[in-house]
Amino acid sequence: MITFGRLLLRQWRNRPGRALATAASVAVAVGAVVATWVAADASRAGYRRLTETVEGVPSIDVLARGGGRFDVEKLPALADVSGVRAVVPLFYRPTILRIGSKRVREIAVGVDAETLVSLGLLTLTSGRPCLGPDEVVLDTALAASLGMRLGDDVLFFARRRVSRLEIVGLAESKSMRWFAEGAGVIVDIAALADMSLALGFIDRARVVLEPQASRPHALEEIGRRLPAELLAEIPAGRSSMAEDVLHSANLGLDFVTGLTMAMAWFIVGNAMLMNVTERRRGFSLLRLLGATGRQVRIFVTSEAAILGAVGAVVGAAVGLVAAGPIAAGISQTLQAPDAALVVHPLIVPLALILGTAIAVAAAWWPAQEATAVDPLEGLSQAPPPPRGVPLRFVTLAVGLWIVAASIMALVLTERLPPQAAVPAGIMMLLAFVATTPVMLPPLARALAAFIPHRWRIEGTLAVEHILRQPVRTALTTGVLVVAVSNGIGLGHAIRDNVDNVRGWYGRMMRADWLLTHAGMISAAAAGEGPKTKTAEEEVRSLPGLQSVEGIGVATGRVAGQACVVVARDISADKPLPLEPVEAPEADVRQALARGEAVAGTVLARRTGIKPGDVVAVEVFGRSTKVRIAALVVDYTSGGSSIHLDRATARRLFGIAAADILLVTAEPGRAAALREPLAAIADTHAMLLRSFGDVRAFIDSIVNGVVGSLWAILGLGFVVGSLGVANTVTMHVLEKKRVLGLLRVVGMTSGQVTRMVVLESLILGLSGSLIGLLGGVTTALFIQLASQPLLGHPTSLSFHPGIVAANLAAALAVTTLAAWLPARRAARLDLLEAVSSE
Amino acid sequence: MSILRTEHLEKKFGAGNQGGAGVVAVCGIDLTIGGGEFVAITGASGSGKSTLLHMLGGITRPTAGRVLLEGVDLASLDDDALALVRRRRIGFVFQRYNLLPELSLVENVSLPLVLDGMSDARADEAALAALETVGMEHRARHRPDELSGGEQQRGAIARALVAKPAIVLADEPTGALDSVNSRRVVELLERLVAERGQTVILVTHDAGVAAAAIRTIRIQDGRIESDTHGVPHGLHTPTGGGA
Ligand SMILES: Nc1ncnc2c1ncn2[C@@H]1O[C@H](COP(=O)(O)OP(=O)(O)OP(=O)(O)O)[C@@H](O)[C@H]1O
Ligand SMILES: [Mg+2]
Repeated sequence: MITFGRLLLRQWRNRPGRALATAASVAVAVGAVVATWVAADASRAGYRRLTETVEGVPSIDVLARGGGRFDVEKLPALADVSGVRAVVPLFYRPTILRIGSKRVREIAVGVDAETLVSLGLLTLTSGRPCLGPDEVVLDTALAASLGMRLGDDVLFFARRRVSRLEIVGLAESKSMRWFAEGAGVIVDIAALADMSLALGFIDRARVVLEPQASRPHALEEIGRRLPAELLAEIPAGRSSMAEDVLHSANLGLDFVTGLTMAMAWFIVGNAMLMNVTERRRGFSLLRLLGATGRQVRIFVTSEAAILGAVGAVVGAAVGLVAAGPIAAGISQTLQAPDAALVVHPLIVPLALILGTAIAVAAAWWPAQEATAVDPLEGLSQAPPPPRGVPLRFVTLAVGLWIVAASIMALVLTERLPPQAAVPAGIMMLLAFVATTPVMLPPLARALAAFIPHRWRIEGTLAVEHILRQPVRTALTTGVLVVAVSNGIGLGHAIRDNVDNVRGWYGRMMRADWLLTHAGMISAAAAGEGPKTKTAEEEVRSLPGLQSVEGIGVATGRVAGQACVVVARDISADKPLPLEPVEAPEADVRQALARGEAVAGTVLARRTGIKPGDVVAVEVFGRSTKVRIAALVVDYTSGGSSIHLDRATARRLFGIAAADILLVTAEPGRAAALREPLAAIADTHAMLLRSFGDVRAFIDSIVNGVVGSLWAILGLGFVVGSLGVANTVTMHVLEKKRVLGLLRVVGMTSGQVTRMVVLESLILGLSGSLIGLLGGVTTALFIQLASQPLLGHPTSLSFHPGIVAANLAAALAVTTLAAWLPARRAARLDLLEAVSSE
Repeated sequence: MSILRTEHLEKKFGAGNQGGAGVVAVCGIDLTIGGGEFVAITGASGSGKSTLLHMLGGITRPTAGRVLLEGVDLASLDDDALALVRRRRIGFVFQRYNLLPELSLVENVSLPLVLDGMSDARADEAALAALETVGMEHRARHRPDELSGGEQQRGAIARALVAKPAIVLADEPTGALDSVNSRRVVELLERLVAERGQTVILVTHDAGVAAAAIRTIRIQDGRIESDTHGVPHGLHTPTGGGA
């Protein structure tokens, strides 16, 4: 008797196309997962670099509650808090350096330089990190201005003694900004503390977060672990304008990765389904000859395992090869060209196991179906017409909806983190796919009505084919539904978010010129010196000004919650720079002038502040009651902010200095202000930028992030099209006989081509339309999921461009995917078709 | 008047690329068939009957020689023109699996007409008439898998004649049927010839079925072994043979 192994080999030799197409589907799926995974990792790495170059490193500070230094022993272990990348103790000390005959006042910062360099948190332009008490690293720019070189000595005046330190390294100014607070001299933290007679004490511990970490959550978690004398807060002035874009981009990446997995399932499931149902009769024959159902199922699943494993190996290889250029392209878009391609060591083994497992699992169901029927019935030529299928799918869809909605409700009420929205969103999409068998027939019929009359017969046959196999068509369409939903949903979410942030920035920063501190010195530090004030006065004395608005930023606390207190001039002749939630601008303007405050929505949501409340705001240890007039949509420090008129802030909290100066010229005189402003910026170590510069800067970040997401989405479309092409090819192989018969009764090859293409087009369009629904829901989901992060409802807008682009892409993909198999179908040898069986 | 003529018709399989001898399925067949003839092709299994029929119907192209259908050389036609000829001038009936499982019986039967651009209503009407001829109009809305083998074959014959083709080619149409059903199918074909003057070429193993034909062509190893014109047994006694 012939063994199953021999039978399998014979079947493959007989129909190599079918076995190949099945393995190819696994290869496509595994390749997609690998490539997407690597590309998503590249994007995340790119985002991290982006956040760091834009706003320094996202971080949370741990400080002594009463001010001053604290014993480092009091600092609890924080490295294991989720989202924490490193805990960096910092020690600051004003000092005097003597170089030759020159004496310079500088701030020295004590850190563990070696660790920072190894973590990539500090970049040296030359030399090495300082280690012991005799070594120092200088800011490259400072060293250049002092004419110092590597290997030179400096005299360092500290409390205990005067030390001679050797310059062992030069640090990139940009990479120091996030911790230096204006310091230009880096010394080993233990050495500096020792020199200052404060061994074992630090000024603050800066907890560096992963860019995708949620800052509010990390803040809460860290706060919980601290002893009473320590407090955690978001460093003032380190406003996170890009954080929200990146945050939803990260959520988006999770979505895309999850959805690619789902798509992989559809593709493999479909191929297995076809591979097995096509041989239904053969299996029935085997059973009639005495094989048990179990034997047949083992036969089918072993075949699936072998084809799955082969496909997975090929797919992983192809995915890795494809991932290289894709990741490089993404890094380029994100302006992090030196980001190395990192392949997570688990990706390949996981992909292999997953590919095989999915193949086996996907083969199980059709094998079950094929052996569940009476063997005689299985011998009949066509699979029995579907019965009860829609109901089963409706049940599945409703179940998925309920689970997804429950998860979402928990996310919205913050009993689950925003990340949980990802599986919920995927379930929601799957629910849409599950409704496909129900929605497809009427949709397909409706679409067929648009087929030109002279293609009526091709159209009718195409629709018949579609309706005959609801499960298979649902799976094929599912690939498209996912791709389109993905594109539309993510596209909308990204666009909305980008538009929000852009709009906010434009509102907040509208002026001809912006003067900011080069380093992000907080108002607290700047307030002590008269420097900034002088800069402001100098600017105000320039001719040709329409307005000068100063913005001061300080760290504060409201109801136990760290926040940023923004004090700004509100110019009467410009639109209100804030976006009130459900309150007229004029009222808010008056309230601010009266000395009331407005609160960011995130802060309000976290503390429960409502408009009309009188709350105690604590800044620099001073606590004062302020009435909250309204809530505003704000992205400063992730929306955890209180805004006051500058006069109010000076009176209540003594915030006098401006960290940012917004200069608006009289009409037509903006250009003339460049030179005098540049001169002022120079003397006060400030940075002068035009509004256009700022816009371009923000745009470049936003575009990079959006570009990387589109790249991954594009990848999804490519995978989708491969999946569809594969399905249609298998479909054609299987339909050989029917197509041959059609040719025999007089169908031309052109008509056969049209019929196959029409079938794909109807599937494509139906999938796209269902995907459109799914996409809008996904968009809503992503928006809802980011609400706890933003604290305010973002309006869901409709971008016809995104929808049109996605629909066009889906149609192009399906038409192209159908074209080759259709040509092939038309060229089938009639004789072969007629005599097959 | 001849409706179908072949000249030195030959079909080789498998020769060429492998350099092997290949199989000569049909070899130098010259044949003339007139309008309204009922021809049976018989012969041992593998003698080349189906191959000959496929060439006559334009399903496969000969490796040498020509087929002239109503004076038109099929070799001179491109694929689309050939499809048109199949659609309008030829009706096919195979041993089994003649019908598209997706379509109902009447849809299957009307297919050649609809392909030819006839409106659904008129095609339906014609298909129902054809089904009536084969006595299957009462099952018109059923799908093929709901019909017995004999019923399916009658449906296939209805499709073969719905476009009023010049010639009906049937490859062992009764091969899968019992004797009662075989009889009905053969009677149907006989009626086509008698009442409509159509030409029927039928491949069969069954001597009883062959006996219904006026002319019997016996094929052996791809060549015509004998070509006898008899009289249908319905009109004369089977033993009364002769040219
Ligand atoms: N596609 C093919 N490739 C190779 N050889 C073929 C092919 N089709 C038919 N043959 C060979 O050609 C010869 C004639 O085949 P054909 O099918 O015409 O025989 P037949 O007379 O119809 O037989 P049967 O009564 O069994 O149906 C046979 O030897 C067969 O093996
Ligand atoms: Mg034959």
